[in-house]
Amino acid sequence: MAQIELENITKQFGDVKALDNVSLTVRDNEFFVLFGPAGAGKTTLLKTIAGAEFPEKGLVKIGGNIVNHVESKDRNVSMVFENYALYPNLSVYDNIASPMRSKLYKKDEDYIKTAVDKVTKMMKINHLLERKPSQLSNGQRQRVALGRCLVRTPNVFLMDEPLAHLDAKLRHFMRGELKEMQTSINSTTIYVTHDYMEAMSLADRIGVLNHGEIVQTGTAQEMYYTPCNEFVARLFGEPEINILEGKKYAREDSVYVKVLDQDVLLYPSEDTIQVLKETDTDDIHIGMRGNDIKFAFEKPGDEWLEGTIYANEPIGNKVIMTVLIGDTKLAVTCPNDTVAELDQKVYVKFNMMNAIYFNGETQKFIIRNNMSRYMAEKREG
Amino acid sequence: MEKQGQLVDSSKNKKIFKILEPIGRNLGLTLFAMFALFPLVWMVVCAFKSDAQMYNTVFIFHPTLENFRAVLVGTDYFRAFFQNLVVAGGAVIITVIAGVPCAYALARYNFKKKEDVAFQILSFKFAPEILVILPIFLIFQKIGLYDTYFGLIWVYQLITMPLLIWVVRGYFEDISIEVEQAAQLDGYTWYEVFFKTLVPLIKPGLVASALLAFIFAWNSFTFPLILSGFEIQTITITALRYIASDTVHYGQVAVASTIAVLPEVIVALFIQKHLVRGLSFGAVKG
Repeated sequence: MAQIELENITKQFGDVKALDNVSLTVRDNEFFVLFGPAGAGKTTLLKTIAGAEFPEKGLVKIGGNIVNHVESKDRNVSMVFENYALYPNLSVYDNIASPMRSKLYKKDEDYIKTAVDKVTKMMKINHLLERKPSQLSNGQRQRVALGRCLVRTPNVFLMDEPLAHLDAKLRHFMRGELKEMQTSINSTTIYVTHDYMEAMSLADRIGVLNHGEIVQTGTAQEMYYTPCNEFVARLFGEPEINILEGKKYAREDSVYVKVLDQDVLLYPSEDTIQVLKETDTDDIHIGMRGNDIKFAFEKPGDEWLEGTIYANEPIGNKVIMTVLIGDTKLAVTCPNDTVAELDQKVYVKFNMMNAIYFNGETQKFIIRNNMSRYMAEKREG
Repeated sequence: MEKQGQLVDSSKNKKIFKILEPIGRNLGLTLFAMFALFPLVWMVVCAFKSDAQMYNTVFIFHPTLENFRAVLVGTDYFRAFFQNLVVAGGAVIITVIAGVPCAYALARYNFKKKEDVAFQILSFKFAPEILVILPIFLIFQKIGLYDTYFGLIWVYQLITMPLLIWVVRGYFEDISIEVEQAAQLDGYTWYEVFFKTLVPLIKPGLVASALLAFIFAWNSFTFPLILSGFEIQTITITALRYIASDTVHYGQVAVASTIAVLPEVIVALFIQKHLVRGLSFGAVKG
């Protein structure tokens, strides 16, 4: 097991910068999740560590050694590829046994048999050992690819969306297995996903990547409660966080914000006032998660905003209601038994204690309530 | 009731159709097979006819082995057969050894003018052989390659190489680069990856295109006609000898051709499976 360090990695494909000056340290035995939208450079970053791609600039270090000029076979890393990259001419058994049969990582056949048995039982593919990859479903292929990765004891596991093509139930199960394995064999793992639940549940730390740049690294808690900008805030959480565009009005001893061109005044919580006052713009965006919005069908008071119901989606354990105020849509999380007619009037109120404030011009994080608590956690992390 | 009647009627029609369809299909295929095979059959028939009966088109005749004796006994026909084998086989071996890496490079690496190079290789097949034969003849005489195995094998690359490179390139492009990367991460060297992982995957295309290359080389006529003399005689040129100045011994030509065709037929039958799958697969992609 080893620590992975990337220093100022830049990788270009023609005119496109896939990675732009990326620096990153993944500690020994850490489960690090790379998270970001499609085309952010996540796969390229993994391949750079694996040695399948070579960066134009920067250093790749595994366990303190610079490996820029080390061939991928000698780096002792194990990778799950997004498109599986199984050997079509070999059976499932031989695919999984392949890394243990190379000269470099040679094991005897008895060892191989036990190792393959163990990993295929865990993946629930032990009845498919004789099949060729072409006779498997995508989910099964993905598990074979994952199995081929997990039979080894490498410096680092690199996993490129290893659960993306599994059905929801199996994905949930495998997530648990991976987490369990991570703690039992103490492996450094870098894991790519675009599923925020997977990221938050698995990660010791998360790195958010966008346009080839690291936007923020931190624990799942930090990502969720103190995102460094609106982009990160939008990535985590379902339904997506509501960003309310507002104007700040500063008074002697208080600050209030008007949002969505409505007359209702929003008062930020005490401990945020000072920082908001000092912010040099009046253009404030408020991040408000769907479960911090209260709603009512009868107007309970003057501080409630009026809107109409645009959509109402029951998703099992909750209902996501889309409320239209002016021409802005708000996603509100409601209890399961909520029934509403489309275009019906609805009144909403924001829980300002959980508001996240962003600079409207730069979209950067300003402050949130109870900042000290999250900062303390950050230091510990 | 009327409706029911109709239903019965239509199901009856279906039944008849079910019986008629395969009959019609097989009849059509048989007709086509006769059309396609007739020249070959006629060639074999001619091989057994005497020169006197050559021009009648009746199928009843006295079969004779006279032609076989004239062609095979005490002549250098088998020498030509062997030499043809050496030239065509050698050409195919060189094509495979040089063409597969070339196809790999065209499929995997990005270099300047890549597509132009690929097209240039293909364009060798565009020009009729007669177009380039004269300069090659003159050059070969100057540098001593005229009437040598090496000279012919070299020139045959024009016929055999383009097809193989384009088919195999398509196969390489079909293999995702991640498979290679995965194999390297598994701890295999590049050569192990190439021979253990890639070669099995391109095998159908390689076998099929190598066979076609062999057939092209085996059948080649213009190049050996001009570029070989007394030392080397391919079988296509030898067959020409039976067209004498006074008369044409069609029976002997037929014998020579019939035997010349045998290796191709045998090899093609053996790897028929690869041939169809291999070429159609590569062609769609290439």
